[in-house]
Amino acid sequence: MFLQPSKKLFYSSAVLIVLAITAVVIYPSDPIDFNTEVKPILNKKCITCHGGVKQEGGFSVLFEEEALAPTKSGKPAIIKFKPEESELIRRLHLTDPEERMPYKHDPLSKEEIKILTTWIKEGAKWGDHWAYQKVKEPVVPSSSNNWIQNNVDQYILEKLKAESLSPSAEADKATLLRRVSLDLTGLPPSKKIAAKYLADNSNKAYENLVNDLMASPAYGERWAALWLDLARYADTKGFEADRSRNIYKYRDWLIDAFNKDKPYNDFIIEQIAGDLLPNPTDANYIATAFHRNTMNNDEGGTDNEEFRTAAVLDRVNTTWGALMGTSFNCVQCHSHPYDPFKHDEYYKFMAFFNNTRDEDSPFENPVLRQYKGMDSAKFEKVKTWLRQNTNAASANYWTTFLRTLQPTINAFQCDKFVDGANGWYATLRNKGTCNLKNVVLTGKSELLFKYASRVDRGVWRIYLDSLKGPLVKEVPIKNTGGGFVHSRTSIPSINGTHTLYFSYYSPSIKNNTDDGILFEWFSFGNPFPSPEKPGYDSAFKHFNDLLAAGAETTPIMFEANQDLSRPTHVFERGSWLSKGKIVTPDVPKVLPGMPANAPKNRLGLAMWLTNKNNPLVSRTLVNRLWEQLFGTGIVETLEDLGTQGMAPTHQTLLDYLAWQLMYTHNWSVKKTLKEIVLSATYKQQSSFTKELLKKDPYNKLYARGPRVRLSAEQIRDQTLAVSALLSPKMYGKSVMPYQPEGIWRSPYNGDAWKLSEGEDQYRRSLYTYFKRTAPYPSMLTFDGGAREVCIIRRIRTNTPLQALTSLNDSSYIIMARSFAKTMEKINGPIETKIKTGYQQMMYKPITDSKLNALTKLYQTSLLKYQGNKKAAAILVSDSTLNAPINRAALVVVANTMLNLDEWLNKN
Amino acid sequence: MTQKELHNQRLVQEAQKAVMQQHTRRHFIKESAMGFGALALGSLLGGCNTSSSPNLFDATNPLAPKAPPFLGKAKSVIYLHMAGAPSQLEMFSYKPELAKLDGQDCPPSLLAGKKFAFIRGVPKMLGPQASFKQYGESGIWLSENLPHLSSVIDKCAVLQAVTTDQFNHAPAQLLMHTGTPRLGRPSMGSWVTYGLGSENKNLPGFVVLTSGGNNPDAGKSVWGSGFLPSVYQGVQCRSEGDPVLFIKDPAGMDRDIRKASIDAINKVNEESYTEYQDPETLSRISQYELAYKMQISVPGVMDISTEPEYIHEMYGTKPGESCFANNVLLARKLVEKGVRFVQLFDWGWDTHGDSAGNAVDIGLKNKCRKIDRPITALLQDLEQRGLLDETLVVWGSEFGRTPMQENRDGKTMPFKGRDHHGEAFSMWMAGGGIKGGTTYGETDEIGYNIVNGKVETFDIQATLLNQLGFDHEKFTYESQGRNFRLTDVRGKVIHDIIA
Repeated sequence: MFLQPSKKLFYSSAVLIVLAITAVVIYPSDPIDFNTEVKPILNKKCITCHGGVKQEGGFSVLFEEEALAPTKSGKPAIIKFKPEESELIRRLHLTDPEERMPYKHDPLSKEEIKILTTWIKEGAKWGDHWAYQKVKEPVVPSSSNNWIQNNVDQYILEKLKAESLSPSAEADKATLLRRVSLDLTGLPPSKKIAAKYLADNSNKAYENLVNDLMASPAYGERWAALWLDLARYADTKGFEADRSRNIYKYRDWLIDAFNKDKPYNDFIIEQIAGDLLPNPTDANYIATAFHRNTMNNDEGGTDNEEFRTAAVLDRVNTTWGALMGTSFNCVQCHSHPYDPFKHDEYYKFMAFFNNTRDEDSPFENPVLRQYKGMDSAKFEKVKTWLRQNTNAASANYWTTFLRTLQPTINAFQCDKFVDGANGWYATLRNKGTCNLKNVVLTGKSELLFKYASRVDRGVWRIYLDSLKGPLVKEVPIKNTGGGFVHSRTSIPSINGTHTLYFSYYSPSIKNNTDDGILFEWFSFGNPFPSPEKPGYDSAFKHFNDLLAAGAETTPIMFEANQDLSRPTHVFERGSWLSKGKIVTPDVPKVLPGMPANAPKNRLGLAMWLTNKNNPLVSRTLVNRLWEQLFGTGIVETLEDLGTQGMAPTHQTLLDYLAWQLMYTHNWSVKKTLKEIVLSATYKQQSSFTKELLKKDPYNKLYARGPRVRLSAEQIRDQTLAVSALLSPKMYGKSVMPYQPEGIWRSPYNGDAWKLSEGEDQYRRSLYTYFKRTAPYPSMLTFDGGAREVCIIRRIRTNTPLQALTSLNDSSYIIMARSFAKTMEKINGPIETKIKTGYQQMMYKPITDSKLNALTKLYQTSLLKYQGNKKAAAILVSDSTLNAPINRAALVVVANTMLNLDEWLNKN
Repeated sequence: MTQKELHNQRLVQEAQKAVMQQHTRRHFIKESAMGFGALALGSLLGGCNTSSSPNLFDATNPLAPKAPPFLGKAKSVIYLHMAGAPSQLEMFSYKPELAKLDGQDCPPSLLAGKKFAFIRGVPKMLGPQASFKQYGESGIWLSENLPHLSSVIDKCAVLQAVTTDQFNHAPAQLLMHTGTPRLGRPSMGSWVTYGLGSENKNLPGFVVLTSGGNNPDAGKSVWGSGFLPSVYQGVQCRSEGDPVLFIKDPAGMDRDIRKASIDAINKVNEESYTEYQDPETLSRISQYELAYKMQISVPGVMDISTEPEYIHEMYGTKPGESCFANNVLLARKLVEKGVRFVQLFDWGWDTHGDSAGNAVDIGLKNKCRKIDRPITALLQDLEQRGLLDETLVVWGSEFGRTPMQENRDGKTMPFKGRDHHGEAFSMWMAGGGIKGGTTYGETDEIGYNIVNGKVETFDIQATLLNQLGFDHEKFTYESQGRNFRLTDVRGKVIHDIIA
């Protein structure tokens, strides 16, 4: 018993000595680093059984305190400074398969055992992952080299030198023009901007170009398009029915925010908590639609609470994924197996989002109501009257009510139906009853409600606490002819929170299966204020008119008041049905706490996110900006900066940019982007050399400029632009450009793809109507997603289906026709037309052999169409042409040019 | 193909070869070696970096057929995945003892320390909702839900003790098809197409067909190429309308013009390649060629209406509809044409008991009816064409279902349903060198835990690769400085089911 282990130890120490000698050469006396050396071994070899979910033998290596705590044996498995006494190390050396760890798996390599042993010997120091540590003031490398144009280059060059590589030369002017224009605006430059740049020979020419591009409205559209993926923006609600949703104003808000270069901290605060800002503007409310892009299940019989909860969980996951580069989803069911987030911390975080008034209602409420025309004038009048004739709180209450219809209780929250049912509405038949739980009645004297009835002489009775309880009120119900109207009734003074019981009866109902009354919502409050003040009658009338008026609506976040607030439970194993202990809003312990002045609500959360101590938000943004420009993030896994993600290629650069964003550029996205695109790194030629192909095929070291395929939006938009079809129209409801038949399948509603008219067919892609269950096909083919949940990163692919799309999709043929027309108008022989067309696409002259290939194609096609004029006429689809042959051949050439590799890529 | 097209094609190929020869010598060696097709990988790689096999990606001809490291028995795979997890207890796993426990409380020993997707508290046991009989010379037990399959069961090796550690659909599907429950790794079909290329130059090497009204829960990632070049990702075909979107030439543009236009695109792209040396450009060149070839061949291959009546009768196919049977017949056609990997997903097997359609006694029977005949026909049809020996057919799902009745929220469900169960479930393989009429693995008398013959998802992958001629431990791809395997660090070939 005693001898055996020590013998083994002796043997293994001998091995260790040999290893140590080898190791010295590689790592000269550096202490073991927990994050880069130890954690990967624990994560790969141990944590499956000794981690968050499973803790075999009472041992877990997930958190420091767990790893050092006594195990089932009563003794800790890791004893600091004493590997020879640590059970962890002993178990790694055994040969008995029942005892040796990892259990029933291959033993650790000698190198791995050596690392763990040395680590314990050095005191088993735990380390937090770099991504969870706050961004520190950077020390910029200061090498002097003519290539360097700004600090970004310092970091890049440092690493290139270490790898014995040198950077590439600057790309030519034409290539840079197209590259930076597509990157910053998603479009080729306007003729004016291009001409100005190409004629400008000063050394400020490129910087001026960048300024011009950033000032163009196309800039906001391009960056909004990116954000739509993160916000999982869609024009439908998802799930099976996938009905329409009116939320385009959020997209327009994004465009404006980017164009005005709204500081990123404000950008986040407004989207997370715009409704909680003092005196929120319409724009503040609309910004919160960020988190109303969650899916909504309108299917009959689904539990609204289930899907409300799903939406709240999605908000948590999206907040972490999109804003903090962390896959938080796992923590929903158990402590994160790899990162230091605990199970209940997920729910503490969820508590920030669990108190909004949305409840998976098919009406999408709460919504911001924006009145139109005369109604808008009425609204201003009511608002002014209230401000002048009642106290601020009351004026705010009633104005907010007109803007949001809050606070109201959805009638589908009613329960215990007898002769009634619960669907989109609460419906009672004759003598039907139901109840409404948890109604706060203290200080309430009026019930405002919305209902419909087709029955005369109805009576709605409200009882307290049971159907046999005291009668609170008997409300006569008028026949509304089936339309929904709002009405009000006074209620006696009652204190406390009660369950109200409802009954309905009408002597006019002959058939007891007929509906008597349909309730949409209830609002318990007080009467419209100041009846004694002059102008009351007109203000009150306007108020009622407005409640009934149609308005443009946008789903928004709206925080529940005290009366309607919800507790948040931990969900055992992540299921919303197994509710555990109640938790209050908080942020995970491994990250800096909330700022001292931050309230424990969404506004406080937004303050925490945008506090400069938050280690993740700034890093995530600059990593994403980098990825958009270079094709790959500094941390490739945009979705995970933590231990499960890939290691950063240039961690110090990432931190430098994060620092710059917050401290130098004061959260300006434009300035941060500008710093990157002005670097020599960005401006390099993108061609591979043999050496680079071998040493750095994925351009992780940046010894060349970025060359990546454009996004789905960029490809379509630039093709529309060069074909002179692109509509400059901004904003507004989403449009429906051409798509093939049979893409949409809407089994439960009559929605159809109705081809937009006129220029609306040719708007930028971010305006294309986005249906979650059937996204625009060419968007999907070029790697867009369905946006059911947030899309953190698009993975670029290269498939034959993409070729088929840009070759054969009618939309692309229409664009080719238009481009052919443009080329046809150019004076000169066919070579000149093609040459000029190419110049318009690429801003540089075409090479002879390319021109040859395209001219030959023209001649071949011409010959073909001479024998088949009918086909030519079909292809050009232009009845004004008598002899369509030349045009047809040119359409073929245009279609070909719009499929070139250099066109589909930025170079 | 016309003389001229052939000529043009040859020119393009020659041009590409020339480009390639400039590219790197190693590629050139490989190219010619592949051209002869006779050299085994091992000897070819002898002089190269011997510690691991280098990535074998020839961008000019990424789908060229390649010889596997050793002689495999199967040349192609048809993988039938029932997304949602069918109940093994009503199909392949005969548990008379469970019938006796029907309606009784589940013993606490089965619940201790277990996690379920939906079961809460103490559920009731649920007896088999189908009767079983023994079939064939092998005497394999099958339920009444599979009347057709019972006639060919001697061709199948039934795995009774497959296990997974994932209990939700999407991660479990990813684990089964990519070797990890997380996104980002290549799928089985991508690995196989990467390793073997495709016998048919005019079709994608890896085709995906879905039925049941939905894509599988894990979405397109289960046929994604992960870190492998994107050319190896599965190409999803539609079984209604155009089989592939935009497969038709634009109105007014005929085949010859389309060909001339693609030739021009590729000619210009070759020059771009010289300029930028970007391997993706080469990939694009081959994708444009493939797109053209698909235009020619896909509509024909994907048209099942030309099949003879007896075939429709056999499979129960209905041309023009979108259904599993049509996809099964398409799978046979595709394999016959040399497609390497055909992946079918049929959605709608998640029998929780929340509705009649999701009940193990109602919905499951209907689902079985829709697959039983076509799958049986597939095995017979492959055999009569002499293809069964070289086509590995796999049937399975991401996990199985509990012997307990689901009691979501602690309440009995309106219909008879079973919760997700990863500990033990059934799959089968046939053809491609598999020993028919075998049963491998055994579960306890209620089908809850494994008694012997445990098969992990990695073992399925290892066996599949083995049948195609790969040692799953040596078939690697280097990415991010590390060699990756489909089976990660796990997997063993199930030798007992190999003929």
